[in-house]
Amino acid sequence: MASLFSASLPSSDPSYSFNQAPTTASEPRQHAFYPYTDNGGSTLGISGADFTIIAGDTRSTSGYNINTRYAPKLFKIGGDGPNNENARIVLSVVGFAADGRALKERLDTVVKMYKYQHGKDISVHACAQRLSHLLYNKRFFPFYVTAILGGVDDEGKGALYSYDPVGSYEREQCRAAGAAASLIMPFLDNQVNLKNQYDPNSGPGLEKKPREAQPLPRETVEQLVKDAFTSAVERHIEVGDGLQTMIITKDGIQETYSPLKKD
Amino acid sequence: MPGFDFSNHNRNLALHAQGVPLPKATSTGTTIVGCLFDGGVVIAADTRATSGPIVADKNCEKLHYIAPQIWCAGAGTAADTEFTTALISSNLELHALSTGRKPRVVTVMTMLKQHLFRYQGHIGAYLVVAGVDPTGSQLFTVHAHGSTDKLPYVTMGSGSLAAMSVFETQWKGELTREEAVKICSDAIQAGIWNDLGSGSNVDVCVITAEKTELLRNYITPNVREQKMRDYKFAKGTTAVLNEKIITKEEISKYVTVQDIGDGEAGVGEKMEVDT
Amino acid sequence: MDALVQQYSRPSHQNTLSSNAAFPDDSELTTTIPPPLSLKFALPPITAPQSWLRSMTDDHANPSCPIKIAHGTTTLAFRFKGGIVVATDSRATAGNWIASQTVKKVIEINSCLLGTMAGGAADCQYWLAYLGMQCRLHELRHKQRISVAAASKILANLVYSYKGMGLSMGTMCAGVTPTEGPALYYIDSDGTRLSGNLFCVGSGQTFAYGVLDAEYKYDMEDDEALELGKRSILAATHRDAYSGGFINLYIVKEKGWEKIGFMDTNPIFWQTKLEKGEFSNVTAKLD
Repeated sequence: MASLFSASLPSSDPSYSFNQAPTTASEPRQHAFYPYTDNGGSTLGISGADFTIIAGDTRSTSGYNINTRYAPKLFKIGGDGPNNENARIVLSVVGFAADGRALKERLDTVVKMYKYQHGKDISVHACAQRLSHLLYNKRFFPFYVTAILGGVDDEGKGALYSYDPVGSYEREQCRAAGAAASLIMPFLDNQVNLKNQYDPNSGPGLEKKPREAQPLPRETVEQLVKDAFTSAVERHIEVGDGLQTMIITKDGIQETYSPLKKD
Repeated sequence: MPGFDFSNHNRNLALHAQGVPLPKATSTGTTIVGCLFDGGVVIAADTRATSGPIVADKNCEKLHYIAPQIWCAGAGTAADTEFTTALISSNLELHALSTGRKPRVVTVMTMLKQHLFRYQGHIGAYLVVAGVDPTGSQLFTVHAHGSTDKLPYVTMGSGSLAAMSVFETQWKGELTREEAVKICSDAIQAGIWNDLGSGSNVDVCVITAEKTELLRNYITPNVREQKMRDYKFAKGTTAVLNEKIITKEEISKYVTVQDIGDGEAGVGEKMEVDT
Repeated sequence: MDALVQQYSRPSHQNTLSSNAAFPDDSELTTTIPPPLSLKFALPPITAPQSWLRSMTDDHANPSCPIKIAHGTTTLAFRFKGGIVVATDSRATAGNWIASQTVKKVIEINSCLLGTMAGGAADCQYWLAYLGMQCRLHELRHKQRISVAAASKILANLVYSYKGMGLSMGTMCAGVTPTEGPALYYIDSDGTRLSGNLFCVGSGQTFAYGVLDAEYKYDMEDDEALELGKRSILAATHRDAYSGGFINLYIVKEKGWEKIGFMDTNPIFWQTKLEKGEFSNVTAKLD
C-alpha cells in the first residue's frame, strides 16, 4: 500500500545524535520565497431554515500591529454592477487578505459572467462548486485562505459551504474559520448542533437521548454570532475592532456593522 | 544546590531535534513605561498576559514590589520577571539589613544587570526600575542581556513604540505628579489600543519621598460586554456512565477538612476572579 | 451546445465497434487521453515549486507550516459473496485540528461506481469528480458503462502524471459491471494500482486491518459483512486519533451501490461495549 500518510504514528525518521541535534533542527529554516502574510481575524457562518448569516471581524493584523480597524472580510458575490446590488451570495475569506481579495474578484467575475451567458442567476450550489475549482486551480500555489460561502438554495433553505485552502468543500449548518476558529467552533458545535447535550428527562445514564439539532430562529442565531465574537475578542489578540454581519434571505442581503473591543 | 537545574537540557535538545516543540511560556507581550516628575517617579503597565495569540490573563499584575520605595515594571517572560524581581527583592532586603541603610535604586539596577548578564539573555526579563532613595528619584531600564539605561522617561515591551510616541510628543521637563500620571497612563493606553500584545487595564505606581501609591486598575477601558444569551444548562444535560458520591467523612480519611462556615472562602484563600 | 456535442462525439464513420466492445482498440484510447492538465494549474514563479509547496503545506514534515490542508483518514472496502462493502469514517484533520466530523468520504461516481477518499481531501474530491466526468464521457462515447478496471486506470494514469508534484491520495474504486462483476481497485498518488479483495487505507488502516483480517471470509451474508465493515471502522476510530465522527456504510450489489447509513460512532461504541462486552479496555465503572 506504499506510503500514504501516517501522521498519527511515531516518526520513523532517522533520529539525530545529541551532537547534531541543536544545529540541524532548532535553527529556523529560511525560504527565499514566502509570499504569504497571516492577517488574522475570524469569520463564522450559520445557516437557518430560510436564511444564512455570515459574520467576520474587521481587524487586519500583521504580527503585533494593526494594519486597519476596518478591513471587510465579507464580500457580496454577483448581483449588478461594482457594488453587487441584488446579490444573493456572500463569500467570506480569512487568512491572507490579498489572496482573499484575489479569490473574491475571480469568483465575482465568474458569477457575473454566468449571468451574462445564461441569463439567470447562478445557484449557490453551482457557485460553491465553482469556488472549489477556483481554489483547486491553485493546488500547487495555494491561496492562503479559508473560505465560507453563504446563500439560499433552490428550495429556499439557508445554504452554507466551507472550504479548505485548496478547495475541499462541504455543506454544513455552521462553521467558524480563521484565527479564533478553535475558540468559536466548539461553542457552535455545542449551541447550534447541540453536541454533548442530552435530554435531561429521557432516562438515566446511557439511555439518555442526545438533543436533536433543529434549524435555529434568526434572532437566536444573531445573538449566538454576537456572543461568539465578544468572547473571541476577550481571548484572542487578533480579533476585534468591529463585527460585520451579512444576513442572506430570499429577499436580499442585509448588512450590519457593530463595534467590538479595540484593545 | 542553588540556582537553575539543567539536568533535562540534553533530553530537551534531543526531543527538540525530533520535532517536539518547546512548551510555550506565558509572555507579557506588554507595554510598560516610567517617567520622572518633580518629587518622584511614576511607572505604569497594561494588564494583558499572552501565550502566543491567546490572552492568558486579562488582568495580571506587571508592577512588582522590590522595596517599599522601589518598584519594578516587567515585560518579557512572565515567570522570569516574577522570579527575578522576587529574588532581587529578597537580596536587597538582606543588603539593607546588613548595611543598616535604606536601599538605593542603583543597587537594584546593578544587582539585576549582573544577574541577567550572567544568564546571557536566557532569562527573558525586561524591566523598568523606579524608586525614590536618599539620592533622589531614579528611573532605569534593564534589558534581558544586562544592558541598562538611565533616562527621564522610558518605555519597554512590544508596545514600547506606541507608548514612546506619546512621550515624544507630550513630554516636557518639570512635570507635576498629575501630569506625570496622565502622560504615563496615556502612553499605556497607546499600547493597549495599538499593540496586540498589550490590552485590558492600566496599572500605575506613584513613588514619592513620602510614600508609594499603587493605583491598581487606574483605568479600566475594556470591561467585558454582557452576553446576549444565557448559557445555563438544565441539570442532567450531561450523560453520565456512573455516579459515586463521596461524603465529607470519607474525604477526611485522606485530608484534613476544616469547616469555615457560611460557605465563604477563608482569608487568604480568596481567588482573584476575572470580572 | 453543438460545439459541446462535436467536441465529445466522433464522426459516424469512426463509429465501427471493435469485435469486443468492452476492449476498444489502442488507437482509440490514445485519442481520448485528456489534454495535459498541468497547464491549467497556477504554479509559483520559482525553480522548485514541489519543495516549496511541501514546505508550505506538508504538516507531517513541518508541523508549523502555514497552510494546513484537510486530510481524510480511515477507509476500507472488501469483496465478499454478496458484493462489496465500502466503509469509511468521517473525520478531516488539519494538523491537530479536527476540521470536520461530517465529511462524506465515499464519493458516488455513478450509480454503479464508488470512490473512497483518504489523504488530501481536496485532491480526492476534485479528481474523483473529474473521474466521474470521464466515466460519463466514456458512457456517451461507447454507449455502455465504463469498467471498474478502466475507471481506476484513468485515475492511476492521471495521478502518475502528477507524480512528485505533491498530490496525496489513497483511494479505492469499488463498482460492478456486467463483464467484471463486483470489482475493487486500490489507487494511490504514488501511481500504485492494485486489484484485490480487501483494502484498508489511511492513518487508521492498521487498526481496521486488525479487525477485518481476523474476521474476514468470502462467504458472508450481507448483514454479516456490513457489520464487519462497521466494526472495523469503529476499531480504527477508537485507536486512531485522526479517525472518528460517523461511520459511512455502503454496499455494492449487482444492480449498483446502496447506501446503508451515516452513523454516529459514539452510541455505536457504547452499544458495542455494553451489550456485546467488547472494548473491555475501556472502563465504565468507578473505582
